[in-house]
Amino acid sequence: MSTVPAQSPTTPVPMAVIKPWHTRLRERLFGYAIRVILQGLITVWAVTTFTFFLIRLMPGNPVDIKIDQLMQQGIPYEIARNQAMGLFAFNPDEPLPVQYLAYLGNLLRFDLGNSITNPGVRVIDQIAAFLPWTLFSVGSGLLISFALGVTLGTAMAYWRGSVFDNVLTAIASILYGIPDYIIALLLLIVGGVQLRLFQIGELRGAVDPGIAPGLTLEYIGSVLKHALLPVSTYVLASVGGWILTMKSSTIATLGEDYIAVAKARGLPERRILTAYVARNAMLPLVTRLAISIGFVVGGSVIVEELFQYPGLGRSLLRAINSRDYTTMQGIFLVISISVVVSNMLADLMMGWLDPRIRLGKGHRD
Amino acid sequence: MGLDAVASPTGLVIGFVLGLIPLLVGWRYRQWKWGVIGWLVCLFSSFGCGLIGGLPVAVLATSLVISYAFATREDPYTSQASLDEVTFDETWQEYLLRQMAALGHGVRTSARMLARNKVGFIGFAGVMFFVLMSAFGPLFIEYEGEANFSRRQPGASSLFQPPSAEFPLGLDWQGRSVLSHIVYGGRTLILTSIQAGLIATVIAVALGSLAALLGGFVDQAISFLGNFVLTIPQFPLLLVLASLISFNSSLGLALLFAALNWPALMRAVRAQALSLRKRDYVEAAVALDLGLGHVIMREVFPNMVSYIAVNFIFSVRSAMYALVGLVVLGIVPLSEPDWGVMIFMGRQQGALFNPAAASMLLSPIIAIAVFQLSLVLFARSLEEIFNPRLRSGV
Repeated sequence: MSTVPAQSPTTPVPMAVIKPWHTRLRERLFGYAIRVILQGLITVWAVTTFTFFLIRLMPGNPVDIKIDQLMQQGIPYEIARNQAMGLFAFNPDEPLPVQYLAYLGNLLRFDLGNSITNPGVRVIDQIAAFLPWTLFSVGSGLLISFALGVTLGTAMAYWRGSVFDNVLTAIASILYGIPDYIIALLLLIVGGVQLRLFQIGELRGAVDPGIAPGLTLEYIGSVLKHALLPVSTYVLASVGGWILTMKSSTIATLGEDYIAVAKARGLPERRILTAYVARNAMLPLVTRLAISIGFVVGGSVIVEELFQYPGLGRSLLRAINSRDYTTMQGIFLVISISVVVSNMLADLMMGWLDPRIRLGKGHRD
Repeated sequence: MGLDAVASPTGLVIGFVLGLIPLLVGWRYRQWKWGVIGWLVCLFSSFGCGLIGGLPVAVLATSLVISYAFATREDPYTSQASLDEVTFDETWQEYLLRQMAALGHGVRTSARMLARNKVGFIGFAGVMFFVLMSAFGPLFIEYEGEANFSRRQPGASSLFQPPSAEFPLGLDWQGRSVLSHIVYGGRTLILTSIQAGLIATVIAVALGSLAALLGGFVDQAISFLGNFVLTIPQFPLLLVLASLISFNSSLGLALLFAALNWPALMRAVRAQALSLRKRDYVEAAVALDLGLGHVIMREVFPNMVSYIAVNFIFSVRSAMYALVGLVVLGIVPLSEPDWGVMIFMGRQQGALFNPAAASMLLSPIIAIAVFQLSLVLFARSLEEIFNPRLRSGV
């Protein structure tokens, strides 16, 4: 036992063992990054595989659906089948594993294939056409409601018990409880039909037809006009949750010891509220924001369908109804990638905002 | 018939039989008042909702009776009796009685707190309003399933009608009373959502506590599965799955919602169970080698009941959200009467642009909004009641 060096307290610790903290941090982050990226890739692959087979399990394939449509126009089955088979570059009789391997092979070359029901249109072009509208409408809705929620929530916690607080808490609880599509329908019926504030028919689509895209005042105005209804739906549907979470989080932070210490040190009220209270109270909300960003891309299928807003959600619904396998695949891929990336973002942001996690001292489960 | 959640004579019989449980228990413990009240409540709820309404109420009523009986009993664990007079081996009957008494006591305290909590009471009243309406409404209002072309007003272009004295909520596109569809249309929706919530809760609690207590590979596998389900966007996936399964029964739909709904609660249960596992009494039970089932059912689960109850309500709510959403998009086979189908058909039949049809569209919309709101208010207040740390907060 005498050979164990730790027995003698005078043995100096070799300096090389303890690396400076930034080196340790870099190594930790590097290993962490590789692990996280690998995990993300595996998840995306799993989701892709899962949806690939799931989609093909759905009753009816694109050819069947087209045959149905043609037969409803009075065309006999044989002719309808030949027409439908000729229309689409898709063979429903090809075995599944072959289709799957072909799909994966194309995916590795970043080729999402062509849409089945719109021959000649690449899936990636379809996504590029619809994705910006969803990103724009859902994204701005999310940011507006987050900003509103954080500001109002902090103010409500600060003036707790006042009329302002009570009224807003009631409103926030009500908004939090009502589903988004119900809000959308109410906007349409009350605002559009009963009060005639706007013409529902005119507000369909993303822009007025006949306006050339560009940085003109007319175009931007038209885009904003059309986005107004979906964006206000998203804001109304989610602002309640942000307000309530921020309020309770702020109240919890206000009770912390370091706030009392800051007050005792005589720091100005404004500085306590912004640098001490708001920053800490926002921690849980920021992670939630990052996670919600992932769900932006999935958009809101129902809301986009109700307003006939040409986003990714509505095109997913159409692809599902016409069994457009490749388009569905492409949209699911985009959605799952964005969810995985935003989860990583949430982790990173959490580490950036909360040093306890970054340095590995905090305990997270 | 009695299984169906609608007022029926069979339900009355079931209620009569079920009500005997609290009555007999009340007789055994000389709690006459509470026994009779329990019997009446069982009769009433079974009459309204058959077995589905009767069984839980019978259990609750019995536990209430027992809790009153045990309020005066000397508890061997806390009484002044000397240690060697007390036996720590309780038979399963004693265990059952103690648990029932605890449940009844919990129900009594929560009910008292709920009555004091304004918001929670409003939510509870809202939920009960719709449940009672769906259960007892059919006794008073006849369902109109057939088109009524004779009700067309002279000169009107459609059968839609705004509310009138004869038809309080107006007429729909086939000239049928909207009120009858509102009264009859909530039942399937509420039942399916409750089923989905129950299944999701059971899956989540089972998997969550297994993951936390077994740890290791099981934990990792369950956590990965949960993360996987969370990564797939729920609603788009639901759109695909909904066309995959044929829905002859509401149970299929409920299973589907539950399959997508469990991971969030599972994570929470796992975290809770992990923190509970560190507590002394659980470690003691593990050290005594009392078996996994014992640890889960007797040590961990009772400490999470309130938490799980709140989450059950939330998952009922999200199942309802998804169900109505699917119906509004026309993905699920439609069957009347149903609030979601009313919205779908209203849009199909151009009710959106017809001022006379506003009531036909607004009625189901408001019904769904109020029901969802009531569920949320109720659940949030329960959360406050059970978790005093939140009470100062919201």
